[in-house]
Amino acid sequence: MKRWHIRDIILVTILAIFMGVIFWAITPLYSALTAVFAPMGLQPLANEILLGVWTMAGPLAGFVIRIPGAATLGELLGAVVEMFLGGVWGASTLISGTVQGFGSELGFMATRYRRYDWITLILSALTTTLVTFGWSLAREGYSAYHLGFLLLLFAVRFVSVFVFGGILTKLITNLLDRAHVLKH
Amino acid sequence: MVNVSIHNLTFSYPQQAQPVLNAVNANFPAGQFSLLTGVSGGGKSTLLKLVAGLLPTDAMTVTFNGQSLAQIPATQRSQTVAMLFQEPSTQFTMDTVANELQFALENQQVPADEISQRVTAALDFIGIAPLRDRKLMHLSGGEQQKVALAIIVAMDSAVILLDEPFASIDPATRLVLLQRLAQLSRERGKTVILADHDLSGYTDYVDRLTVLADGRLSHLSPEATQERLANFAPARLRLQHVTVPGDNQPALLQGTQLSLATNGRTLIAPQDLGLFAHHTTLITGPNGSGKSTLFRSLVKLGHYEGVITYDGTDIHRLKRRPYARQVALMFQSAATQFLNVTVDEELALSLKNSYADHFTTTMVTHLLTELNLADRREQIIYTLSSGQQKKLQLLCMLIMAPDVLLLDEPFKGLDYESIQTVIQILKRVQRELNLTYILVSHQLSGLDTFIDYHLQLADQHLTYLGVSA
Amino acid sequence: MNPSLKLALLVLVALEISFTHVWTVNIALIVVSLILMVWSHVAFKRLVMLTLIPVFFGGALVWSLTLRGTASTHFLLVIFTRMVAYVYMGGWFAQTTNPLTLTRSLEQNAKLPSKFAYGFLAAFNLMPKIQAEVATIKAAALMRGQVLHFWSPQLYFKVILAAMNWSDQLASAMTSHGFVEDAPRTHASEIPLITRDWVLLVGSLALVQIGLFVGLP
Repeated sequence: MKRWHIRDIILVTILAIFMGVIFWAITPLYSALTAVFAPMGLQPLANEILLGVWTMAGPLAGFVIRIPGAATLGELLGAVVEMFLGGVWGASTLISGTVQGFGSELGFMATRYRRYDWITLILSALTTTLVTFGWSLAREGYSAYHLGFLLLLFAVRFVSVFVFGGILTKLITNLLDRAHVLKH
Repeated sequence: MVNVSIHNLTFSYPQQAQPVLNAVNANFPAGQFSLLTGVSGGGKSTLLKLVAGLLPTDAMTVTFNGQSLAQIPATQRSQTVAMLFQEPSTQFTMDTVANELQFALENQQVPADEISQRVTAALDFIGIAPLRDRKLMHLSGGEQQKVALAIIVAMDSAVILLDEPFASIDPATRLVLLQRLAQLSRERGKTVILADHDLSGYTDYVDRLTVLADGRLSHLSPEATQERLANFAPARLRLQHVTVPGDNQPALLQGTQLSLATNGRTLIAPQDLGLFAHHTTLITGPNGSGKSTLFRSLVKLGHYEGVITYDGTDIHRLKRRPYARQVALMFQSAATQFLNVTVDEELALSLKNSYADHFTTTMVTHLLTELNLADRREQIIYTLSSGQQKKLQLLCMLIMAPDVLLLDEPFKGLDYESIQTVIQILKRVQRELNLTYILVSHQLSGLDTFIDYHLQLADQHLTYLGVSA
Repeated sequence: MNPSLKLALLVLVALEISFTHVWTVNIALIVVSLILMVWSHVAFKRLVMLTLIPVFFGGALVWSLTLRGTASTHFLLVIFTRMVAYVYMGGWFAQTTNPLTLTRSLEQNAKLPSKFAYGFLAAFNLMPKIQAEVATIKAAALMRGQVLHFWSPQLYFKVILAAMNWSDQLASAMTSHGFVEDAPRTHASEIPLITRDWVLLVGSLALVQIGLFVGLP
């Protein structure tokens, strides 16, 4: 099993910081979506639509760094960075970062860190959605929603995670692969 | 004192056919200051990294007083050899100067109660005690290099390696660092190996010159070294055709009370500055004086005081997208400009988005042949040599044909023949499309018939030189 | 309080209130965090921010649960106070903890391998460089007629290439500065871990348990 070296640790942290920068850049979009959806009682949809961006550090780190724990660490560090940058959600970011990262990690674990292709990314998108949704049921009180609305939230979340953590991640790693910078 | 020996060292990077270093044998005597020279991309960095143990070597190819680095316990290697890198800002772990020195000494397991005193001594030796509690990221490149040397002084490393340490720092700092390095070798017996392609200003400091060419090393005798250093004069700028623009000549880019600063250090004091359309302007000035910073300001990537207008409009009020069509920068680092993977993909992108209906695929093929890139079309950009990347970058930017093209060191890493070809192409395209060029270049030979105006940056002020029009 | 224990306390309490439904404890945590923040001279503007944001998002969530769900008033109250409590506790932690001290404490007190501690710090210092790089990449792409958005693979591709270069350079520099993975180091700045820290941790946790399990609403 590959071990963590200082270079990998720095790389995963830089990726996490970069995702933090991206997330910070789309905050206005998030606020706008929330403002549009909130009056109709649809506020969680704003979360769901953009959740894929926030959970993308996991699959991206997992795919680029290819060491067990990379996806979890990528997300967790993203949360740490966000906390010290002055993100207001603080402690809960640390926990949800770990939960999200672990969700992505399960996908890589399922293929035993040997396959780096569509199958792993689809699995990872699925496990991320399932795990984070379970977390939302408890933490954000999603358990009190009507079933129909809950299914809608779940579907939107899966699409978002799949688009960013699956499709976009695959396109990025295709470029990296063609440039011969990914270690196999 | 530690002597460095290299025995039969061969090294090639993956995906590159030619070895960078081919059966190199050399000896760097203990306590001497050696200057290692050779063309850019010729393997100087690689050699230093191999000596520093940062790239893998076979056992006993590099030895320190007969011992290979592998035979020295890992935590004591930094007492044997340490390296100062070309890029100042990516060599620190901690936030402040003192914390970084402390970090290095903790790594060496120096007892906690000795650390503070050794930090103070090292900072005093380099003369940067006032920087002690400053944040590293708020320091200039020159100050960062001084800190990097202070760390090596604190660690008391016997062999000091420096990889093009002066590439982006001002002449005053360079002088201080050279004096300290000479002092370290003469008074403290340190073995210093410094890689630089520019040999000016070393005469009083170095003991010996070593030349790396075609993957092989050769040492010069002390006499030959002094002769070579004395004869080295950077290609002098002989511009006989430059004129000073007339007072009423309308400027395309106009700075009013323009001033630039970086981390609290003034680069350009407030002044008015005009840059003129359809001509070629050359900006010269010492390293670190603010030429690249000026370019970044002109393309809205840097902070400046005062006003910059383009064609009469404040550039703050121009949208980025249309402005990028008018004023574009060819970045110093070629890789910054690329977005794809292969040479052909890059060319296709430029052809698709070009602002001029001028370039055709046949023309591009012809240009590639002129630039010796015709057989590289399918190649991955990141495996091209730095010179080839530079030529491709230039081609991509010329195809885009922005009204004003800023060129930051466009000839870096090119051989003389390539430079001549590139200048011919630049001139031709300028004539055909009426472009404006503004360039910054350290490479000055062969520019006479290309340059119309010459701006010199000295003492924080930009001045046009030449005959009055 | 010792930063590692402070972090442990924060995470444990945040985790617990995520799964329990006692709004009075949430309120108590809010009040205690607020007092601690005021006591540590957290700027008034920051406090306003820390209040407005959870009130806005928490309010929107509660409104949504009311319209689209079957939540009781008690449940809504729990969710809302939970959001505010998260933010206040996180605010107290982030505003009173220095990242460097926390990292040193994690290395010395929590036995986090030093490669993680210093690898993280090294990258963290590059933050302004990373932001500048993103701006440069976008501008350089514009000069090639290409607009890069947060969904453009090329933006990520270029940033990852730069990140790979920087991580190589930083790792080399750390090695050159004597850093050896998993090797012992000395510590010139000792982060104290005293009995009082343990008493504070255990005491606070005990209080939260009592609050959560004695049947408060």
